[in-house]
Amino acid sequence: MKDDLDTGAEKTWCPGCGNFGIMNAFRAAIGKLETKGVGRDRVVMSAGIGNHAKIFDYVNLSGVYSLHGRSMATIQGMKLANPDLKVVGFAGDGDALGEGIAHLIFAAKRNSDVTVVVHENGIYALTTGQRAPTSPRGYRGPSTPGGSVENPLNPLVLMLESGATFVARGYSGHVDQLADLMVAAIEHEGFSFVDVLQPCVIFNNRYEQLNEIVEPIDGPPMEFDEALAAARVEEPLRTGIFYRAERPSHEGALLGGRNPFKDHPTREARLTAVDDLLAKH
Amino acid sequence: MAVRVFTFLVGGKAGEGVKKAGSVAAELFASMGRRVFQMDDYQSLIRGGHNFSVVSTSAGAVDSHFMSADLVVALDARSYEVHRGHVRDGGTIVHNSDTVDGDGVGVAMTTEAEKLPNPELRVGVAAVSVLGAAIGLDREALARCVADGYGRDTERNVAYATAIYDAVSGKLGGRFSLGRGPGRLPILSGNQAIALGAAAAGLDLYLAYPMTPSSSLLHYLAAHERDLGVVTMHPESEIAVANIAVGAAFSGARVMVGTSGGGYALMEEALSLAGMTEAPLLTVLSSRPGPSTGVPTYTEQADLRFALGQGHGEFPRVVASPGSISEAFDLAAEMLDLVWRFQAVGILLTEKHLSESAATVEIDVDGAAWADPLIHGGGDYMRYRDTGSGVSPMLFPPSKGVVKWNSYEHDEAGITTEDGPTIAAMHDKRNRKGDAMVGYIRERRTVNRFGSSGPPIVTYGSTTMSVLEAVRAGGIEARVVQPVYLEPFPAWELESLRDERPVVVEQSSTGQFAALLREKCGIEPAAVVRRYDGRPFDPDELARELERSLG
Repeated sequence: MKDDLDTGAEKTWCPGCGNFGIMNAFRAAIGKLETKGVGRDRVVMSAGIGNHAKIFDYVNLSGVYSLHGRSMATIQGMKLANPDLKVVGFAGDGDALGEGIAHLIFAAKRNSDVTVVVHENGIYALTTGQRAPTSPRGYRGPSTPGGSVENPLNPLVLMLESGATFVARGYSGHVDQLADLMVAAIEHEGFSFVDVLQPCVIFNNRYEQLNEIVEPIDGPPMEFDEALAAARVEEPLRTGIFYRAERPSHEGALLGGRNPFKDHPTREARLTAVDDLLAKH
Repeated sequence: MAVRVFTFLVGGKAGEGVKKAGSVAAELFASMGRRVFQMDDYQSLIRGGHNFSVVSTSAGAVDSHFMSADLVVALDARSYEVHRGHVRDGGTIVHNSDTVDGDGVGVAMTTEAEKLPNPELRVGVAAVSVLGAAIGLDREALARCVADGYGRDTERNVAYATAIYDAVSGKLGGRFSLGRGPGRLPILSGNQAIALGAAAAGLDLYLAYPMTPSSSLLHYLAAHERDLGVVTMHPESEIAVANIAVGAAFSGARVMVGTSGGGYALMEEALSLAGMTEAPLLTVLSSRPGPSTGVPTYTEQADLRFALGQGHGEFPRVVASPGSISEAFDLAAEMLDLVWRFQAVGILLTEKHLSESAATVEIDVDGAAWADPLIHGGGDYMRYRDTGSGVSPMLFPPSKGVVKWNSYEHDEAGITTEDGPTIAAMHDKRNRKGDAMVGYIRERRTVNRFGSSGPPIVTYGSTTMSVLEAVRAGGIEARVVQPVYLEPFPAWELESLRDERPVVVEQSSTGQFAALLREKCGIEPAAVVRRYDGRPFDPDELARELERSLG
């Protein structure tokens, strides 16, 4: 295994795929975190199912290759059991905003101290191009040849309204910015959501369009209402940190400083506790 | 008059404190050193309807409630109508004369309660009072019982209880004489026993979405987080529960989840995930009548096939069902150890009749198993290293070795594969692990046997309690054979029954357990005694059926 976090597995994304940008940004982010004292063995990852998820096979970090829509739930378990870990979950837009939307919303609602990176390409690429929850009305794909008759969800608005305390948008074509966004997201204590515009060169190639309209946010993160309004703006399509707030994380509140894995009791201590409780019956 | 078993039944509307009265009665009997079994019958509502609690007690063993009672207390008219037929010879029924126009002993329980605040909630105390009078407690002993049992609003509860006591003593006082038993034992419900057993084995985290009859397992562990050191979490759905659990196991926490049939259906995909990732995952499936929403607060054993067949694809799992509340403690500990020893899925299968009934228990806390995984000893790490036993050493982050758990088929490093030989090798590895688990379980106690002579009766789970009491109450000469493990199925222990044609007793309308015995051991039962009206067997009725079937 090379030290640049590559497992050596064959890369089966198309040349030019936005997923390369996301992976490269993530690897750069790991490097930056290491210079800040966060060792790579403390960072664990998860992915759902889809083209996005192949990042799990390519990046040499510990983690769980989860189920479609479920990486947002998996990562909360990974964190709850050992809150010392930095946990990053990758999801496609189908994963995060379709199959697993309840898990995404509740992770935000709880302010679980994990980071979710959504590969937003507006379609289901691995299964050959069906519409995703972020596809525009009228989108023609194999399951909607007459044009989708549904409006898309706005992931940033959803996350802001669900209580996420770090909401950002990135672009796979701007790798340096994306790496910095990932570092900030991972360092943030609380739920971090990074929606990444990720063109699919085969089914939904938006590179030209995005290169025209994508513009970094000029300034610091906004107040909540301003961030909500900015999140709805489609042109220019802003990238950067929209919103950041400090609120107690779910794990902090639920565990009160305990670490279930590290603080696993001795058998003796636990049997004493059971004996004492049984005596009250 | 002294009887082997004394049974007390209290009935009323939901919200009147019926179940609490039953628990206080159970506590009273246990404080006399007696053995106790309490069954609560309640509906899926929180106000009105009909609830009753039956508490049977003996100085010797008692494994079930009895549906014919020595003392019935009816707080409302419906209870009087329903339960007047449940009074044994020599027994008596006492009713609330404010709500019931009935024969026999009546007391104005509501009128008396209305002299104090919260009369609707207080009425249940009258039942304890009537019981106290009937078994010859003096006023002081009753006052202590009510104070300890209810633990709040003591002055008023004791005043109320004393008033009721005074009203009935003349007609009932000391009618039943109950001797002391061998010694005080704790009272646990099945769910509490499971909770304590898992805790004794080192449980770190319990996750659940409320669903009757498993909810009290969540409530108990949540209430005692500080006492036990077990973290509890109630997430947004059963799907979340199961997937969070797999993530927690990855990070090394000993985790358990619990639910009933419908919730288990939601977890099924994640169980297959646990099978493929080789996640140690202990699940508790407490059944109620199905299919679908079914009858939420009643009991049935119709999820056996469902439990055995959970999760698409092939992966080893262990399924076991406790035959008593004491056994539930041991089994929960044993199964937490098993799932961590073999990185497998475990299903502790039970049902409402065990989960939510309560009994005096004899538990050896020091004898409980302790869950300890096989940890990587050093050198290069491969999460799915193919070993002779099929069990790969574990490692938890942070670690130098990269630990990849994968829901796809994978190579030894945990990287996705579509390579033919690797796919076959990983299937073989998991199957070999399953064989190792069977080999381990085979060395242990997998079947309980009761009685040494007579024809065989085979049963499992909570029905075991009903069968044991039926055999005892009916004076039936029979051997009771109870497999605890259902997967791997202890055919090696049961094959000899093939020649004997046992009577099978279960709470499945299609006889799932009998079919399993046939499939695994070639056993052709002489009869399959089934009850599937949502109620557990009554020992006296079951005794009569067994006598007929045993011929």
